[in-house]
Amino acid sequence: MSVSKTQRIISVLWPSFLTAGLATTLFFTAFDPQELLSQTRYAEASRLGVYTVGFFLFWLLTASSCMLTCYFARPCENRQG
Amino acid sequence: MSNTSARNKTSAPTVEPESLYAKHQKIYPREVHGLFAFWRAAGVFVLLGLFYIVPWLDWGGRQAVLLDLPERKFYIFGLTFWPQDFFYFAVLLIVAALSLFFFTALAGRMWCGYACPQTVWTELFLWIERKIEGDRSRQMKLAKAPWTPRKIAIKGSKQLVWLLLSAFTGFTFVGFFTPIRGLTENILHLGLGPWETFWIIFYSVATYGNAGFLREQVCLYMCPYARFQSAMFDKNTLIISYDPARGEPRGSRAKGVDYKAAGLGHCIDCTMCVQVCPTGIDIRNGLQYQCISCSACIDVCDDVMDKMNYPRGLIRYTTENALQGKKVHILRPRVIIYATILVLLLLSLGIAISQRVALELDVIRDRNSLYRETDDNGIENIYTLKIINMDEHAHEYTLDAQGIPGLHVSLDEGLRVGPGEVRELGVRVHVNEDTLHERSTKITFHLQAKDDPRLDAVKNARFMGPQPEREKTDEHHD
Repeated sequence: MSVSKTQRIISVLWPSFLTAGLATTLFFTAFDPQELLSQTRYAEASRLGVYTVGFFLFWLLTASSCMLTCYFARPCENRQG
Repeated sequence: MSNTSARNKTSAPTVEPESLYAKHQKIYPREVHGLFAFWRAAGVFVLLGLFYIVPWLDWGGRQAVLLDLPERKFYIFGLTFWPQDFFYFAVLLIVAALSLFFFTALAGRMWCGYACPQTVWTELFLWIERKIEGDRSRQMKLAKAPWTPRKIAIKGSKQLVWLLLSAFTGFTFVGFFTPIRGLTENILHLGLGPWETFWIIFYSVATYGNAGFLREQVCLYMCPYARFQSAMFDKNTLIISYDPARGEPRGSRAKGVDYKAAGLGHCIDCTMCVQVCPTGIDIRNGLQYQCISCSACIDVCDDVMDKMNYPRGLIRYTTENALQGKKVHILRPRVIIYATILVLLLLSLGIAISQRVALELDVIRDRNSLYRETDDNGIENIYTLKIINMDEHAHEYTLDAQGIPGLHVSLDEGLRVGPGEVRELGVRVHVNEDTLHERSTKITFHLQAKDDPRLDAVKNARFMGPQPEREKTDEHHD
C-alpha cells in the first residue's frame, strides 16, 4: 500500500486543521482569553490575537498527533524475515 | 484509479500542470446547459449572493449577522448569543449533521452538487475561467500553446481576477467575525490590525487554493463526507445513474441509422458525459465515490438524446431499485427515523431559544473573610454578584435571598444593568446568629427583572457562620 507523499502531508495537515478548529472553538468558548491572561505579561494581547495564536498552537499539537499516527501506520519490519 | 482511462481519452494529456498529486491531469469540464445546470447556477447565485450581501445588512443599528469574536457575542438578527449559550450552537451543529444524513438518505449527494461551498466557489471560478480563456477546447489549446505574450496576458488576467475575487471573499469572511464596515474603513485608511490582515490573507489563499487550484481533489482526498456518505445510501436513495439496459451495447452511429438492426443501444459513446464531469469520471462505469451528483452529465446526455431523437434520461436521477425494475420506497425506516429526530431536535431548539432567559447570575463568595460578626449578634457574609444582562434592553432588577429565617440582603448600589452589560457588585447578607444551625448553610439568591416576569435567575450559595455550639476558635476571626 503506497500513498503519495503529498497525500500523506494532507492527511497530517488537514484532519489536524479541522480538529484544531474544533479545539479552539471549545477552548475559547469556555475561557475568555482576556480573563485567562489578565495576570500575565500578555494581559494587553487582543482577543483576536490570542485566538489566532491559540489556534496555531492547537494545530501544532493535533498535527504532531497526526504525524505520529502516520509514522506508526508504516508497516513494521518482519521479524522472521 | 478507475477513471484514469476515461480521463486520458478525453482530456488529452497536455502540459502537465503543477499539481499536488502524481499522475494527476488537470480536468477541463465542458460547459453545460440544461435544467439541472440552471438549478446549480441558481444555487451558486443565491448562496454566494447571501454570503457576500449578508454581512452588509443591518438590524437595529448594528450588523444583522455578526459573530463578533473580539467581543465574544454572536448577533443573529434580533438575537444575541453569549459564550454561555454554546449549548444552542452544539444543537445546531447536530441538526446540521442530521439534515445532511436525512438529505443523503433521500436524495444522495444533493449537498455536494448544489450547495457545498467547494462546488459553489469552483463553479464561480470555472465561470471566470470560461469567460477569460474561452470554452473547454480553447482552454486545452491554450494550455498546450507556447508561452507567448498573448497567453501570458490571458492567463495573467485570469489569475488576477481570481486573486481579486479570493481577496474579496477573504475580506467578506472576516467581515462575519469583525464588523465589516469598520473593517472596510480600516482597509481604506491602511489601518487594518495585524490579525485581521492575517485572517483575510489566510482565507483568500484558502479560497484561491480550493476553488482555483485543488477543485475536485478536495472532494476526492480531503472531504470526510465523501468517504462516509455511502453508509447513508441504500437501494432507494436517489442517485445519478446511467441506464446500461438502455444504453448498451454502446457505439457510434450515423444519425437516423436503425441502431436496433445494428445491434446497438442508446449510448452513442460520444463521451460528452465524461467531458462535462468536474471530477473526471465516467458515469457509465456505475456509482463511484468521486461522483458529486452535480448532474452535468444528465443535462448533456439529454441534449444528445434530443439530437438523436431518442427519449431523454439515459443518464438520470434514479434509484438502484428503480434501475432493477423494483418498487421504490421513499418512506422507509431510515428516512422516517432521520426525519423524526430532526423534527424533534428542531422543535426543541426553537422552544429552547424562545424560552431563553436573557439573564445570568453568578455568585462568588468573598475569599478574604469567611464571615463577619456584627454588633447586633449577627453574622454577615459578603458575596460578589456577577449579573449578565443578555437582553437588548436595560433592566432594573430586584434581588432577594432565602434559606435562613430572617435573612437580610443589603446592596451598596442600585440594580440596573444595561443591555449586554456584565455587572459585578458586592452584596452583604446578614442573619441573626441564633438562626444558624450549621457552619455552612445553603442559601438561594433570586434575581428578578422588575419590568419582565420572565427574566429571572436563581443561584445557590453557601452562608458561612461560626460553630453552632458556640465553640468558637480563633480561626474564625478575620
